[in-house]
Parts: sequence; structure tokens; C-alpha cells
Amino acid sequence: MLRSFGALCLSLLGLAALTQAGSSSGNSVLVVLQPSLKRDAFSLFFDGLEKKGYSLTFRAPKDDTPVIIEHDVPLFDHIILFAPDTKSFAKDISPQALVNVLNHKTNLLIALSPKQTPLSLLAAEFSLILPPPGMPLLSHFPPRDTAPTVIPITVPADNAVLTPGTPPVWFSGVPQALGANPLLVPLLRAPPESFAADTDKDAGAEAVVDAAEKGGEGLWAGSALGVVTGFQTRDSARVVWAGGVELFGDEFAKKEIEKGVKSGNTQFALDTAAWAFQENLVLRIDKTGHHLANETTPREHYTINDLIVYDIAISKYNAAEDAWAPYSGLTDLQLDFTMLDPHVRTALVPVAGAPGIYSATFRAPDRHGVFKFVVDYKRRGWTFLHSSTTVPVIPPRHDGYPRFLSAAWPYYAGAISTSVGFLLFSALWLAGDDRETKKTKKTE
Amino acid sequence: MGPLSLLLLPLAAALAVNAGQLSIQSPRFTVLSSDGNQLRTEQISLSKKAKEPVTLGPTDSLKLTFQVKEEGGEGVQPHQTFLRFYDETTGEEGIQPVKVTASGKAKFDFNMARPPASLPPSGAAPLKVSLILGSFVHTPATVELFDLVVPPSLSAVHPDEQTFHPLPEIQHTFRPEQKVPPKAVSAVFTGIVLSPWLVLIGLWGYLQPRVPHLFSLSILPFTVSLGALEALLLWYWVELRLGQILLYGAGAAFVAAVTGKQALVSIGEHRTGRK
Repeated sequence: MLRSFGALCLSLLGLAALTQAGSSSGNSVLVVLQPSLKRDAFSLFFDGLEKKGYSLTFRAPKDDTPVIIEHDVPLFDHIILFAPDTKSFAKDISPQALVNVLNHKTNLLIALSPKQTPLSLLAAEFSLILPPPGMPLLSHFPPRDTAPTVIPITVPADNAVLTPGTPPVWFSGVPQALGANPLLVPLLRAPPESFAADTDKDAGAEAVVDAAEKGGEGLWAGSALGVVTGFQTRDSARVVWAGGVELFGDEFAKKEIEKGVKSGNTQFALDTAAWAFQENLVLRIDKTGHHLANETTPREHYTINDLIVYDIAISKYNAAEDAWAPYSGLTDLQLDFTMLDPHVRTALVPVAGAPGIYSATFRAPDRHGVFKFVVDYKRRGWTFLHSSTTVPVIPPRHDGYPRFLSAAWPYYAGAISTSVGFLLFSALWLAGDDRETKKTKKTE
Repeated sequence: MGPLSLLLLPLAAALAVNAGQLSIQSPRFTVLSSDGNQLRTEQISLSKKAKEPVTLGPTDSLKLTFQVKEEGGEGVQPHQTFLRFYDETTGEEGIQPVKVTASGKAKFDFNMARPPASLPPSGAAPLKVSLILGSFVHTPATVELFDLVVPPSLSAVHPDEQTFHPLPEIQHTFRPEQKVPPKAVSAVFTGIVLSPWLVLIGLWGYLQPRVPHLFSLSILPFTVSLGALEALLLWYWVELRLGQILLYGAGAAFVAAVTGKQALVSIGEHRTGRK
């Protein structure tokens, strides 16, 4: 009790708003902590998570229990891998096993280090290119009394994942060059003046230049590098790769960024975990529907040229209330009406007065076939939304065509006049007088 | 870096006491055309930025020379001598390390025909070129050199990247409406089709058909059932389905057959004079 009170005081800045929160995908977290790291060295981060309602289970990298997946069902919703120097892992934490875990929609938070480990090799599969082993990020800027590898980094203000106004954070570790993969979500980038190097004297300058030149290993430098980078798989499981585990530690969290101002590490670590653990920017499709413009119930099929209305209900997870709420804030949602290729692509706009409902009205193309309503919403950092509804579009039935065409008036007139003529002739012939018979009758 | 540098000013001041500030001396750039002609050569002013950006054509080359010095002292070889090309509009950045001799002299040149890999993809905005000097023993420095205009180039984009942004709207192109002749033309031809009735009405007075048996009980049902059959066909054309017309038609046809037989029998009796 005393301890949690102390932690609360220390992290007042970050935690005041975040108590009573939770993840949209479950609260059980496995923390794989290498033996050289102590739980107490990360108490601010771990206590912060527990305060949010997560239950943490600790395990050493080589332990066999608790297992991550049992009978093909994951036992944990999220895994924190704080084992940046560990070279051998238990079988179910091997890189292949971790990819499998991701396929089960378990989220990962992975810390790396300049050392080469199975995890740093796995990073390459996530379009992160790490410098050669033993090359940490260093920066001579700004002049300061810490080692060049302990770098203060400004937190970007325009990142939806991070709390605006977070003070700069201390970082120490390895940078990542980012591939062009759109599944990557850069969270924190290296300062422009920083670079990765393995030298600790000015005489190492030649080695830096040589590495960058042709035939060398390349240069990891500048703000194009990431130091903390997220990755969201196609089915919206999330991984965060952090270049160093110290970022989450108490030492950096308590270290002053300037006199009297604590670093933003505590806030940043919890923001990062919040994104990784599906608290932030989480959307889901509640339902979809389609109908004719002047009807309300869906049709089994539509006719070409019909005016069709498609609507979709979207909710966003609100971590502060631990609940889903209708969300009308998407401005670039689109609907495709697809048969092999999209025939119609139109904007789904929020319906005024109906929270969370987006709607689009369009005319069915004059091509018949099996169409699909497709909503495929992919934006960096947000849960990917995908919905596909199959509906046939048919040509009009034999009696669905227009009647009384003006071009056919002569034909209608001809047919009707023949009928009337036949009727008139029949009536006259049947009801008429047979004069010849009458004459013979008269002569009799 | 602005606010951060401010935050760390006290630290910087503390460090500056025991190590000299790095700076550069006699920075100079030369722009050469592909045939070796000197297009522009200028001393770079460190205090105020050149008004005119340096422009490179697709085959021009740029040569940059300077010496790194400790402020008020000897030339030094810093740990980090990086040229930074930065496009403020796109955020694209390229870092190019420059080789510096032990005495601090540095020379860097490149040809736009074979631009270095570090040159970032650029648009219309000029690239800001700055020099980053970093050292373990000296106070680091960033020097703004000049703005550089290079031919625009495109960045490599992942094939899936466009699906992460709003895609262009697609409108379906519908077939044009069927062309219909003017209604007046249709009306004229309808008139021609109906014109025989005018002839019939005109000759009606001459023919003067007499219908004594029209309301006779043996004839009228058949005439009416014939009329019903015709009406049924008209109804079918307007709205009935095939199943319905077969059902109703069968009923009407049966009635017509029965009444027809009766009618024909009665006419036959008339004509043979049995009545």
C-alpha cells in the first residue's frame, strides 16, 4: 500500500488521468524479464500498468512456464519482452513462436539492445533495419554531462499515440532504419544530429565515413531513424520495438531533463504500452447494412441502376471508461462497390444525429454480376477495418422494363385495333340477319 | 531541437568551459558544369545566409571545401562531420558524412549525374544544407550553409502505401439512355395505323348492318366471353404473370367454348329455317 502510494506520487504527472483504464483486448500481460534486469528497476512502468488494471506475470527467458499458448489458445493478451541481451530463449519465445503469437492477436512490446540476439534478427522481418551489432545510437548534441549514448529526445507533438506536452525523454540503445512498409507506425524518431557508431574517440571519424561509403555497412544517422517504432499486423495485432530497455526504467524516468523538470519517460512508456496493448486508436465495425433508397430492409439482390444506400456503424474503444462508444470522427472512410475491380468508390459520410453511423448512397452500375460492398480502412496507427458483403446485381426481370414506350405507339394501336376489329366482326356476324334465308322464307 | 537546446543551455555553458567550440573556417562552394566550367563560386558567410540558393542542374557538380577548427585555435578532426540535406516541406532528410583530415581540412564534391545515395528525394522546395560537427572533447556545433535546389526526384513508395490514404473516387460510367424518336413521329404513324377505322366509319352508313340477334340470350354470352378473352389479353400485357393468365384464360376459354357452341347451334337453326 505504501509502495503504491509512493509510486502514485512519483508518477502524478502521467497517471492522474489514466487510472481506471483498460485494454480493449484483455488485461493479462506476460513480462519476460532477463535475470540481469530487476523488476524494481522498472517499478514506475510496471506499477503504472498495474494501476491501469493489467495483471502482470513475470517469467525468465529460459523458463518453460507459464506457457504462452496452450491448446492453441493464447493465455496472455500482451507480452512484454524485456530481454534485450538474451541470446537463447525457451522454445515458445523463439522468433517463429512470437510470430505465431502475433497471429493469435497477442500484442508484443519488445526491447532491443546493441547486442545481436534472436529478437534483433526478428526485427528485420518487421522492416526494421538495425545497425551492425555493437553500434548504439550516440549524439554529441546538445552538449551535456551524460555519456554521448544517453540522449534526450523531444517527443513529437503531433503523434496521436503520444500525450501532447510530454517532456523530452532519455534514450539509450540502438536505432532502427525504417523500411517503406506502411504497416510501420513510427512513435519516436532519433534526433537529426544522432548516429550509430562503435567508436568512443574523435579518431574514429574515419571509420564512420568509411562505413557510409560504398562497400561499407552504411550509415545509421539522422531523424529518418526510429528509436521506438510500432508495427501493426494485417489483422491489427500490435508490436512495439524499442531500441533500448532503459527507456522504460526508473533511472531514466527520475533523471532530470533539465533542472527541476523530470523527463517524460514515465508518460512516454505508458503511452507506448497503451498503443501496443490496444487501448488507443482502436476501432471496430458494429454492423453494416444496405437497402434501396426508399426502403429500410436489405434486398437479396439489386437490379442495375437501383439507388442503393449502404451504412456502417463504427465504434471506438474508450480506455478511460473501458467501454466502446459510437465514433463519428472518421473523415476519410470510403466504400467500394466491387466486382473484380471497384466499379464505384464513394465517401462514407457520418450521418447527422446518428452517432457512429456512416452512410453512402449510389446508383448500382449497369453491369450485372456478383458485387461486394467493401470497406477497407487502413490508416497508420489505427486498427484496420475490413468488411465485405456480397450481393448480386441482376438485370431487370422480363416485366421490369418500362411500358408504353412512345416509340411503340403504332404497334400498340395496331394490336388493339385488330382485337377490336375481330370483336366487332364477330358481333356483327353472330348477331346479324341472314337476308337470303329471310327471302326464301318470304317466298314460301 | 529548438526548445530542447534552450532547456539544456545551462549544461552547455558548463561544458563549454573546459572544451573549445567547434567551428569552420573559409567555407567555400563551387558549382561546375559538366564540361568543367565554373558556374558559380562563393565564400559561404556563416553569420548571414546567402540570399540566393545554390542551384544544381542535372549534370552539374558541387564542390565544397572548409576547415574544421577549434574556436580561436588549431584545426581539428571531429568525430562527426555530417552534411545534412533537409526538405522542410516533406521532412525528407539525408545525411552525408564528410572525410576530414587530421588538420581539419575537408573537401566534399558530388555530381548530380550520379547523386549520392544520401541525397533525399526532393520536390519544389530547396533542400536546407547544414553541417553538423560533433566531438567527444569539443563543444559541438551546427552550421547552416546554404539552400540547395536540385532537380526534383521521387521517393520510393511501397506498393501498399496508397491504400493507407484516401483513394481517388470512382464514378461508374453508365450506358447512354436509349434514343427514342420524337413523340410527334410516333403519333403520326399511330394515326396511319388507325386510319382504316375512318374508312369503316365512313362506309358504315352505306352498309347499314342490322343486328337483330345482338341481345338474344344464345348470342350475347358468346360475344361477351369473346370480349372478356380480349380484355384478359390486354390485362396480361399490362400486369398479369404467365401463371395467372393460364388460369384465368382456361376459365374464360371454357366459357367461350360452351357459349360459342350454343351460339353457333342457334345460328345454324336460324339459317336452316327451323325457327
